[in-house]
Amino acid sequence: MKKIILNKAKVSKNEYFFIDNDSEIKKSSKIIFFIKFWIENKKTLKKKKHIGVILDSNQSIDLIKDDIELFSLIQFNFITFKDGRPFTEIKKLRKYWKFNGEIRASGHILPDQYVFLNRCGVDSFEIEEGKEKFWIDFFKMDEGLYYQP
Amino acid sequence: MYKYSEKDKQIVKNRTKEFSLQVKRRIDGYLTEEEFKPLRLMNGLYLQLHAYMLRVAIPYGELSHQQLHKLAEISEKYDKNYGHFTTRQNIQFNWPKLEDVPKILEELANVEMHAIQTSGNCIRNISCDHFAGINKQEVEDPRPWCEIIRKWSTFHPEFSFLPRKFKIAVIASENDRAAMKVHDIGLRLIKKEGETGFEVYVGGGQGRSPFIAKKIKGFLKKKHLLNYLEAILSVYNELGRRDNIYKARIKILINELGEKKLKDLVDERFKKFFEKKLTLGVTELEEIKKSFQLPFDKNIRSEVPKIKNKDFKIWRDQNVLNHKYDGHSIVMVSLKQYGKPPGDASALQMKSLSEIAKKYSYGEIRVTHEQNLVLPHVLNSNLYSVWTDLKKIKLATANIGLITDTICCPGMDYCALATARSIPISQKISQHFKNQLLQKKIGKIKIKISGCINACGHHHVGNIGILGLDKNGEESYQISLGGSADEKTNIGQIVGPSFTEDKLISAIETIIKTYEDNRLNLEDDFISVFNRVGIDKFKQDLYEKNNS
Repeated sequence: MKKIILNKAKVSKNEYFFIDNDSEIKKSSKIIFFIKFWIENKKTLKKKKHIGVILDSNQSIDLIKDDIELFSLIQFNFITFKDGRPFTEIKKLRKYWKFNGEIRASGHILPDQYVFLNRCGVDSFEIEEGKEKFWIDFFKMDEGLYYQP
Repeated sequence: MYKYSEKDKQIVKNRTKEFSLQVKRRIDGYLTEEEFKPLRLMNGLYLQLHAYMLRVAIPYGELSHQQLHKLAEISEKYDKNYGHFTTRQNIQFNWPKLEDVPKILEELANVEMHAIQTSGNCIRNISCDHFAGINKQEVEDPRPWCEIIRKWSTFHPEFSFLPRKFKIAVIASENDRAAMKVHDIGLRLIKKEGETGFEVYVGGGQGRSPFIAKKIKGFLKKKHLLNYLEAILSVYNELGRRDNIYKARIKILINELGEKKLKDLVDERFKKFFEKKLTLGVTELEEIKKSFQLPFDKNIRSEVPKIKNKDFKIWRDQNVLNHKYDGHSIVMVSLKQYGKPPGDASALQMKSLSEIAKKYSYGEIRVTHEQNLVLPHVLNSNLYSVWTDLKKIKLATANIGLITDTICCPGMDYCALATARSIPISQKISQHFKNQLLQKKIGKIKIKISGCINACGHHHVGNIGILGLDKNGEESYQISLGGSADEKTNIGQIVGPSFTEDKLISAIETIIKTYEDNRLNLEDDFISVFNRVGIDKFKQDLYEKNNS
């Protein structure tokens, strides 16, 4: 299934090229990889300007806490939409570590979680093409009425 | 009573609209049942043994007469003419149709009610002392704090997909009428050196592993309440187990990490994540407190009419309590009519009670966690009229706090998780002990019945707890003794092998006999006798006289 990137109501292509092999590092100016690949190839990857890292929802953000500023994108990949850990991880990232780069949610996520994720600090969503209508519905329904500051 | 602001109204309205879309997506096949389940649960919609069940929130157990009337109407229009009040001060409808649920939610929204977060792995309805604001012992009224927590926890972006459900209770006096220490977080307002703040308890719960909450903070400044709650929830959301549903509650986390470690993590996060905007200001607090003002002049004086009526006297002695202000009384409305399912109220009873509340209790009703209702402010001179009216609708059973005032879960009559029936057990106990003199002689005692290990009927904290089990296809009932959910919270001890349904009443009779034989006087209640005599004596008598 083809994936697209959604930022508010705007649909775009993924600018980040996914790699899992060190021969691919130079394939694009913007690359993204799993955390394991980062740990193994840190030295080379550090030289790139636009790098993104993918954390599964059961992986702690503490794994990259010393390198946060090196990433232009941090992506939380939900193994299941019921796994709420990234909500706290994202909050830690934004509020405690003051990460200013892009935060993206991917994997098993539901449009019903749009407002929650967005309010915790997620900017963009990697979703299946054709499902954007439901996400945009939730985006439009969000009137900014919340009890929390 | 708290009245919705425009913002409250809009939030509930939006939620109803959102749920209609979710139902449509489910019906159109865009949501799998697995995906739909947590979404419908967050709107209080369960799939039970025979049908859907809708649990409606009654925030901190407080209802207006209009709301009670609407609940009655809903039960007539969409259900089977009754509702079931629960141990967390909510109400459940047992037979709604899925396609009717959006309409029910719309009707509820018209009277400022909803079913938001009455289920699911999120922060549930906040429970409270049902005598909040009307008892002399409290430090201050805990209801404004419940309302502050209700708002903060509703659709909290970080805490809507927790490892498991999360329950919070708030009390404000030494007497615990909200089972605070068997909640995930229990808060008690206390006064220390002239300042009011909170004692914070964490990790209480029942289910298959019962735990009493541990005090992790002796005194929390009131203004820091929400920041401290965020710190606890944040640690739980990150570290709570997600690999095993039975080990996912915060009670397990605190036991695995240790009390000190959890406390340190919470304190650390409290400092690091401190959010200025969550600090409660004096003006904000005063504004919320305005919604909970007494509906009458404190100086009103009134006397109970001098009427010679034996039944009225029995009812008054048992079901009427002193109000904080002398001219009024608190009237307990028993939902334990002999032989009826505990906590059930018919549409007619709800409608009539709504009228009684309107006429005699400034339109207010409360729900207790022991599945009874309360008319919180009845002028003393109206007590006889109230009793007369309650009697007409069979809501004047004079059994509050007595052996027939049982707590009971729906059990196998409704619940898909149950391993045995619990309502028929409660009905049998009620029929067997209904003699007024007999129950009065037995005195203060709490029997709590659950139809499975999930303990919705609070059997762990019953003076006598009854747990329904499935033993090779046959229902059997395990008894525990010495449990308590009040300020001396205690988990009951299992007395021994379980009993079949036909031997259960005889077993309870034997337990009562042991208790009566060991009483020092009529003031000596069951739990005092049990604590003095110990389980062995009860065990010996029970298994000598009853074959399991």
